[in-house]
Amino acid sequence: MITTYLFFAFALLAVLGALGLILFKHPMNGAMSFVVTLISLAGLYALLSAKLIFAIQLIVYAGAIMSLILFIIMFLNIQEKDLPLDPNRWFYLAGGVIVVAPIAGLLIKITKTLPATEVTVFEDGFGGVKEVGQLLFTQWLLPFEIVSILLLVALVGAVVLAGKRGVN
Amino acid sequence: MVSHYLSLSIILFCLGILGVVSRRNVFIVFMSIELMLNAANLGFVALSRLHVNMDGHVLALMVMAVAAAEAALALAVIILLHKHKGNLDTNIFSLLKG
Repeated sequence: MITTYLFFAFALLAVLGALGLILFKHPMNGAMSFVVTLISLAGLYALLSAKLIFAIQLIVYAGAIMSLILFIIMFLNIQEKDLPLDPNRWFYLAGGVIVVAPIAGLLIKITKTLPATEVTVFEDGFGGVKEVGQLLFTQWLLPFEIVSILLLVALVGAVVLAGKRGVN
Repeated sequence: MVSHYLSLSIILFCLGILGVVSRRNVFIVFMSIELMLNAANLGFVALSRLHVNMDGHVLALMVMAVAAAEAALALAVIILLHKHKGNLDTNIFSLLKG
């Protein structure tokens, strides 16, 4: 029972954070409300007994990636006058809602046909570090290596892009 | 109920689409893309809980690695464009237009 209440609390926080992200004018406020979304998603992962994903969501996503984004936002020192004006923002938002809402409604209706399993937190090792790690390094070894190459290429690309000196 | 988690994932994904469509600030567009990746992650983990199978967790890990790579590259591009144009408006970044 308590998991249901926790789910609705986290879901409300996640949706409010996402709404704040797309409605706040300054990117700093948007990033802070996006952090709320990320942390409540971590709580939802814990409710789904994905222990490793819960920890990585907090450490890597809410910790590393978001502090990198916040660092860049502060580094660029964005003033109120540097922000784009967004005169047509509400117009585009209304158009987007009109396009997206029927698709979302249809998909949510499809999810109702899934078997109604009550979500309970597993006490055993489901989603723990050992179990996911064994799966990752046996069945998913080749995708794991490909992802490591992707990270290396992204690192080299970021250094080449941002580290340029004296471009006219 | 697993379907509630999937509904939340769909709602978050749609909010991400709305953020990309309606905003012109390049940071907000970038973070909306991150929001869509997170919504996909929530779908993976919820379905993995439904089938009591941990493949979804591994896929969520892969998506997080791709998101980290994307963050590094996108922030480098944003810094470069801000240095050249001194602005954050996505409409100004039209270098590929002939």
